Amino acid sequence: MKPYQPNEILIEQGEENAVVVQRALARLPHVPVRMVEKGWERGEFPLAGRDQFAAGKKRLLFTRQRSTFLEHCPAGTSGLVCCNYLVVSLVSNCPMDCSYCFLQEYLANNPTLKVYTNVGDLLQQVATATDRHPSQHFRIGTGELSDSLALDPVLGFSADLVPFFAERKNVLLELKTKTDCVEGLLSLDPQERVVVSWSMTPSVIVDNEEHQTASFVARLAAAQRVQAAGYKLGFHFDPLIEYPDWEHGYYDTISQIFSAIDSQRVAWVSLGSLRMTPALRHTVQRRFPRTRVLSGEQVPCADGKWRTFQALRVKMYRTILGWLKDAAPHVPHYMCMETAAVWDKVLGYTPSCDKDVARTLTGPHLQTEGMHTT
Amino acid sequence: MSSITDQLIAYAQEKRLSAQTLQRWQAWPENDQAAFFPIANALQLNENQLRDFLDWLEEITVRDGNNVSEVLAGSEIQHLLHTKLSRSDKLKTLKAALRKIRYPRLSQLEDELRAAIKALDLGDRVRVSFPPALEGDEITFEIKARNIEEVRNSLALLRQKCEDGSLQRAFDVLDEV
Repeated sequence: MKPYQPNEILIEQGEENAVVVQRALARLPHVPVRMVEKGWERGEFPLAGRDQFAAGKKRLLFTRQRSTFLEHCPAGTSGLVCCNYLVVSLVSNCPMDCSYCFLQEYLANNPTLKVYTNVGDLLQQVATATDRHPSQHFRIGTGELSDSLALDPVLGFSADLVPFFAERKNVLLELKTKTDCVEGLLSLDPQERVVVSWSMTPSVIVDNEEHQTASFVARLAAAQRVQAAGYKLGFHFDPLIEYPDWEHGYYDTISQIFSAIDSQRVAWVSLGSLRMTPALRHTVQRRFPRTRVLSGEQVPCADGKWRTFQALRVKMYRTILGWLKDAAPHVPHYMCMETAAVWDKVLGYTPSCDKDVARTLTGPHLQTEGMHTT
Repeated sequence: MSSITDQLIAYAQEKRLSAQTLQRWQAWPENDQAAFFPIANALQLNENQLRDFLDWLEEITVRDGNNVSEVLAGSEIQHLLHTKLSRSDKLKTLKAALRKIRYPRLSQLEDELRAAIKALDLGDRVRVSFPPALEGDEITFEIKARNIEEVRNSLALLRQKCEDGSLQRAFDVLDEV
């Protein structure tokens, strides 16, 4: 995949000496740099061109996170089964541009790709929270508001995160990506505490909908490399996209993955149907008029989001899960943002609480006597 | 005869369409604009109705790799367009026909459910309904009664349908695609 190249680097006054800023300046020596005041966005003129969201991705801003880094995953919406996941965001916005991405709506008025310089505060917050509950298991991911690795060649955050999490007994760090940017991980020792996971879709979806991401083949090759370097792997079939040939597409994808990697080293696999708010659908329609992701049989659900209608969605889950169980019978799996009714239809049970799901996922990796999962 | 561009602009002014909706329609190839204009005009589609048609037509053509004029030239649509109906009935039936093209499996499932319920022969005192767009797994049964005897009769009928397994069929269909 093409390396990220911003049009401009903006540095908030006072952040110019931060380690991550110095790293980025050294790695992007030809990109124009501008110092800005805190809150400069409010007085900034709009970017050139009609697609402000795309233009914002090319403007790299270094600033401080002034509120908390550690948050509960927003997928834990009322009425849906949740896996009790925590997220930390060192980057807000993503250099890639998937047609279905929720950031188009969530960060619609965001004129930049924002990088937080105070990584030390993030590590401190994680240490405080997890040390306070030493008998609990935590899963923490960095891939909520950005891809976990897409900017690693520029920012090098993996060098800060992996050694820190490698030393913690009760936490798993998940780095979620659609890239092959794994070079920075290979020389680090994750100590069984880091899961590198890939969002996987059939090649036809990658090629037509996941713009500027790594190809399916490149993702799989990257997964093999990190596995060889001692990392656990995860795979997310999320979003699951219904298109005319979805059965062949997903079957091939699963076959290729599990014939290339050691399934004993896979920490978890998730499934999640494509879901979009009405506003996101309009944005997608405007930005990607030829996209096929809106052409599935999607209907509005109880939480206001559009998904493939339930009977078809359940059929997709059951079919794909069947293939996953054949390919990797011992790997735990879960569904993201689904109702208890769908869990029951697909998996034959409904978790009694969020902690049930989390325990299934962390249990095999963080076995310590007396521990329980948060 | 004015150009299709002029006709669309005039229609947009008359119906006070948003600039965004007009631009979307104008972004279609001219023959598609022209194929849809007489329908919109005859049905006097307002902003919301027009947007639904644009959404479905665009989504169908992206999925099926054809164009709007081909979709509208389909025999069922053409038959409806030439059937004598009031404007509101024509709009309703045309939307239903287009929805079947846009949501083929969902429409088929809805048809099968209706058939399964009809086969139960529950009479006119028991009404059965499904969640919107079949999103959910609950079927609602409503009993209308003027006296306790009618309640008793409807319950007895439902009990019989439970016991002979025919009611189970409706729940099974809800899950089948």
